[in-house]
Amino acid sequence: MPTTDTRPHDRSATDGVATASRARALTKVYGSGAAAVRALDAVDVDFASGAFTAIMGPSGSGKSTLMHLLAGLDDATSGTAHLGSTEITTLDDDALTRLRRDRVGFVFQSFNLLPMLTAEQNIVLPLDLAGRRPDRAWFDTLVTTLGLQARLTHRPSELSGGQQQRVAIARALVAQPEVVFADEPTGNLDSRSGAEVLSFLRRSVRELGRTIIMVTHDPTAAAYADRVLLLADGRIAGDIADPTPESVLAGLEGLRVLEAPAGTPTGATPVVDATAGGLR
Amino acid sequence: MLRLTLAQMRRSLGRLVAAGVAILLGSAFVTATLTAGDVITRGGYDAMTATYGDADLVVLPTDGRLSTLLDATRGTPGVTAAEPLVVGWVSFASGRRTVGETVIPVPADPSLASLDVVEGRAPAAQDEVALPAASAERLGVGVGDTVRSTWTVWSEEPATTATPEPAEEPTEEPAEEPAAAGPVRSDDELAPQEMTADVTVVGLVDDPHAAWARYGGAGLAVLDSVVRWSGGTDIDDVGSAAVLVAVDGDSAAVRSALAQVLDDAEVLTRDEAAARAVESYGGGNVIVMVVLGFAAVAMLVAALVIANTFQVIVAQRTRMLALLRCVGARRRQLRGSVLLEAGILGVVSGVAGVVVGLALAQAALSVLSRTQNGVPLPTTVQPTLGNMLIPVLVATAVTVGAALVPARAATRVSPVAALRPAEAPTVQARPGRVRLASSLLLTVGGLVALAGGIVLARQGFGVDVMLPLAIGVLGGGTSFVGLLVGAPLWVPRIVSAVGRPVAAISTSARLAAANTLRNPRRTSATSTALVIGVTLVVMMSTGAVSAQASLAREMDERGPVDMTVFGMPGEAVGDGLAEGIAAVDGVDTVVPARYALVARPDGIETEAVVLDPADAGILRDEVAARALAEGRSVVPRSWAGDVTSVEVSVRDTALLEVRPSATDRALLTTQAADALAVDDVPSVLLVRIEPGADAMGVLQDVRDVVADDTVRVESAAAERQGDQRVIDVMLAIVIGLLGVAVVIALIGVANTLSLSVIERRRESATLRAVGLSRRGLRWMLATEGMLIAGVGALIGTALGLLYGWAGAATVFGTIGDVRLSVPWAHVGIVLLVALLAGLAASALPARAAARTPPVAALGVD
Repeated sequence: MPTTDTRPHDRSATDGVATASRARALTKVYGSGAAAVRALDAVDVDFASGAFTAIMGPSGSGKSTLMHLLAGLDDATSGTAHLGSTEITTLDDDALTRLRRDRVGFVFQSFNLLPMLTAEQNIVLPLDLAGRRPDRAWFDTLVTTLGLQARLTHRPSELSGGQQQRVAIARALVAQPEVVFADEPTGNLDSRSGAEVLSFLRRSVRELGRTIIMVTHDPTAAAYADRVLLLADGRIAGDIADPTPESVLAGLEGLRVLEAPAGTPTGATPVVDATAGGLR
Repeated sequence: MLRLTLAQMRRSLGRLVAAGVAILLGSAFVTATLTAGDVITRGGYDAMTATYGDADLVVLPTDGRLSTLLDATRGTPGVTAAEPLVVGWVSFASGRRTVGETVIPVPADPSLASLDVVEGRAPAAQDEVALPAASAERLGVGVGDTVRSTWTVWSEEPATTATPEPAEEPTEEPAEEPAAAGPVRSDDELAPQEMTADVTVVGLVDDPHAAWARYGGAGLAVLDSVVRWSGGTDIDDVGSAAVLVAVDGDSAAVRSALAQVLDDAEVLTRDEAAARAVESYGGGNVIVMVVLGFAAVAMLVAALVIANTFQVIVAQRTRMLALLRCVGARRRQLRGSVLLEAGILGVVSGVAGVVVGLALAQAALSVLSRTQNGVPLPTTVQPTLGNMLIPVLVATAVTVGAALVPARAATRVSPVAALRPAEAPTVQARPGRVRLASSLLLTVGGLVALAGGIVLARQGFGVDVMLPLAIGVLGGGTSFVGLLVGAPLWVPRIVSAVGRPVAAISTSARLAAANTLRNPRRTSATSTALVIGVTLVVMMSTGAVSAQASLAREMDERGPVDMTVFGMPGEAVGDGLAEGIAAVDGVDTVVPARYALVARPDGIETEAVVLDPADAGILRDEVAARALAEGRSVVPRSWAGDVTSVEVSVRDTALLEVRPSATDRALLTTQAADALAVDDVPSVLLVRIEPGADAMGVLQDVRDVVADDTVRVESAAAERQGDQRVIDVMLAIVIGLLGVAVVIALIGVANTLSLSVIERRRESATLRAVGLSRRGLRWMLATEGMLIAGVGALIGTALGLLYGWAGAATVFGTIGDVRLSVPWAHVGIVLLVALLAGLAASALPARAAARTPPVAALGVD
C-alpha cells in the first residue's frame, strides 16, 4: 500500500473536483437479530479534496459512525469506504494503522495529548511512530500559524484547553495527511477558544490546502465549514453548501419537523436543499 | 456501606484478583510451612514413640538411682516387665573401616523392643553385638565376624557413685553422654581414656518404625555392654535413661500405683513421654521458625503489592468517593469502606492460600513418602485449626495494614472533587520530610552499625564472634529498612537514569520510559517489592560465593594436598599402586613421598610428609609451596605458634627453619628430612586432582583401586567439596524460599502494568489512532515492564552485593582473609529472569491494551 500517496487521484465524475473520501452503500449494524441497530444505512457520499465539511445530526443519527468508518477506525457491515483511491473497508489492522499514521489525521474532543510528552513531542508523534523526520518548514508553518512557538516545551498539563486543542491540530496536520477527521473539536472548549480552533481549521483548508471532515452538533461550529452534511437515522438527510448558523439551524429544524408526522418511513429520504436554507 | 463496598469490589474485581494472588501466595507459604512443621514434629513424635516399643508406661527418673527405680517398678503389682532404656555410643572398627554406632540394650521382654533382629540372634553376652545392616555393610562384616569396639572412659573407677546430678531425659544426644556423665565430678585426675575390646557380631537388626533413624540407626547389646560403652560401670552411672514398663491389665491403675511407690520419678504413658521428649528437643521448630522468616519476607512483599493496588484503586475512585462525600458520607465511613474491602480481600485470599498451601504440602508429602525410604512420614496432611487460622489471620492483618495509608488517602478526597472535570486520577502524596528524615536516619545509622560490625570483626581478638555479627545484622537490616522507606525519593531517579538510554531505542521505548516516570511513587513501590527479594537472593549468593572463596583459602592451607594415600609405615608403596591411582579419571599427578612421625619439643608426635621442593606443584597452598622452595619446612601452627625455627626429632634431633601454617600435618623439606634421619622410603603417595574433577568421585575410585592394599586414603579435596556442597545446597534452599517473595513481586509488576493499562485506555486508543501498531503498543508495555523489573533487579543486585560483602566481611573477618566475590552467574540469571519476568508480566496487560479499539480515543469517558 502506497505510503507516499498524499494526493488523491480519484476524480468525481460530477464536479471534476478530486474526492478525498467516499462512501458507497456504507452500512453499519450494531448487534444482531431483534436487538440489531442500523447505525448507518447504505450511505453514499463524496467528500471533496481541499474542503472543510461538517457532519451534523441529532444524537444517534450515525454521524460519528460515518466518521469512524471513513477514517478506518471501525469495520463496516457492508458497503465500501475509500480514502483517495484506497478502499479501506478491506484493509487489515496493520494496513489501517499505517494508513492512519501516514494519510489521516485526528482531532479529538478531549484533545488526547499524551501527558508525559511535551507539546513538540506530541506534535511530531505520528512521524516518530512512522520513523520519519518532520519537514521543518511545514512544522514551523504549523507552529507559527497556531501560535504555539512559546509552548513547545510545555507539557499538556501546563496548557489551556484551547492551546491543547491547537497542539492536537498541529499533530493531526504534521504528517500532511490527505484528510483530517475532527470529532467535536470544540466540545470541551469555551466559545472563544472554540472560535479560535475553528478559524484555524478553516485557515488550514483555505491557506494550507488541507481536507477536513468534522463531526459536530454545534450549528455555529458547523457554519465555519464549506459544506454541512445532515444525518438522521443513519441516512443523509440534507446537504448545505456555504452554510451560515441560521441555515444550519433551519436545516436541523427541518429534520425534526420531518420526523414528527410521518413516523419516518424507511424508504424516503428527505433531502434539504442547501441554498434555500429550508425545506424543499 | 457493606453493599456499596461489595458493589465497588465487583467493579474492581480484576485489580483485586491480582492483589489477592499476592496475598494468596503468602498465605499458602505460611500454611505449607506450618503444616511441614507439624509433619516434622509428628515424625519426631512417631519415632520417639517407636523407641519405647510397645511399653504401656514410661518411667522417667527425676532424681535417684535407676537400679532402685527398676527394682521398685518390678516389684509393683500389675507390672509384667520393666526394662531400662539406655542409649550408649561406641565406635566399631574392622580393618581400617570405622563406624560410630548407637547401641541400646536388649530387653528381656520382646514387647519392649524397638529393634527387630532379622538375622542371627540377639546378643546374650558382653562380647556380643547386633548391628544394623547398613553398619555391618559399611564395616564389611557379617554375622559371626569380630569387630573392635572403642569407647572413652573418663576416670579411674569412682568407688561410690554419689551422683547428685539429675538424670537427663533419653533424648540427649548420645554422643554427649560420656562427657555429660564424666566431668561433673570435678576430680583433677579426670582424663579421657580410650578403651578397646573385641566383640562378635551375632546378629543384624532392622528398625521397622525408624525409631532410631535420627541417630543414624542403632545396634543391640546386653545392658552391661551398653553401660560400659557409655563410660560407666553400672547402670546408675548412665546419664540419661528411662524405664519401659509393660503392664498387665489396667495401665491407669498401675500408673497411679507406680506414682505412689516412686517419689523421685515421673510415670508417663508412652505417648506423654514421647510428647515430652519431642518438646524438649524441638529440632523441627527451629527450621519452621527460619522458614517462617522467609514467609514473613514474602508477606512483606505482598503487603507492598497490596498497598500499591489500593492506592491506585482509591485514586481511580476519587470522583466516586467525592460524590459519596457530597451526598453525606463521613470520612470515617469512606475509610471504613476501604478497610472493609481490604479485610474481605484478605480473608478470601487467605482462605484460598490455606487451601493451596495444604494442597502443596500434601503433594510434597506424597512425593516424599514415595521417594524417601526409612524416614517415617504421614501419608496425609492433618490440618489443625491453628494452622489454618493463623495464615488467614496473618493475610487479613497484612492486607488491612497495607490498606491503611490508601484508606487515609480516601478520606482526604474533598467533596468538591466530584464537580471537577474528570482528569487523569492521581493521588498526589508528596514524599514528606518525615519520610526523608527517617529514611536518612535509618540508612545512615544502619550503615554505620554495619561498618562497625565489620571493623569489630577485623579487630577480631578478644571479642565474641557473635557480637560483630549481631551488630552487622542489626545495622544491615536497619539500613535496608531505611532505604526502603526512602525508596519513593531515590528509586524514580534511578528509573529515569536507566530509562534515558532505553528511550533512545525507539518511539515505543521512549513512550515506555516516559510512562514509568508518570507515577513515580507507583513505579518505585513496584520496583521496591522486587528489590526486597532480589537483594536477599543476591546477598545470599554473594555471601555464599565469598564464603566459598574465603574458606577455599583456609582449606588450602589446612589441607594443602588434595589426596594422600598412606601405606604401611616403613614400607614403600608399590609402583603398581601409584600407577593405578595415576590412571584414575580426574587424577592429575601422583608423587611418592617419605613419611615420618615427628616429635615436637613437648614430645607429642605428629605425622609429617617429606616433599622435594621440585614436587611442590602438588600443593594447593601456594604459601606452603613457596616456603618449601625457600628451604623452610611447613609445620602446624599449633606446635609453637608463629615461630621461624623449631627443634624437632625423628631419629635425630634438628633445629628446622619453619613456616607455621594452619595445616595439621607437617611438610618437611628434603634437607630437613635428611637432618632428622627420616627413613628413605616412599611410604606415602601425594595426589593432585585435576581442577574441576569431582573430588568425591575420585576418592571413591581411588579407594576402589587400593581396595586390596592395606593403605589409608585421605582427601582434603573431597572434604572441601563436601563443604562446598553443603553451602550450595543451603543456598539453593534459601533462594528457593526467597523465590516466593520474588514471584509475588512480579505479580506486583503485572498488576501495576494492568492498572496503568486500564487508566490509559484512552491514551492507548489515541496512540493507535495516530498510527501506533498493535505490536508497537505491546512493545511499549513490554518495555515498561522490563524497565520496572530491570531497575528493581539492578537495585536489588547492587544492594545484595553490598550486604553480601558486608556479611562475608563480618563473618569471615574473625577467621582470616576475606575474599569478596561477585556471583556473576547468579547476578546474570537474576537480571535475565527479571527482564523476562517483566516481559511476561506485561503480556496480559499488553493484550488488553492492544485490544482497545482506536475508536475509544473518540469517546468522552
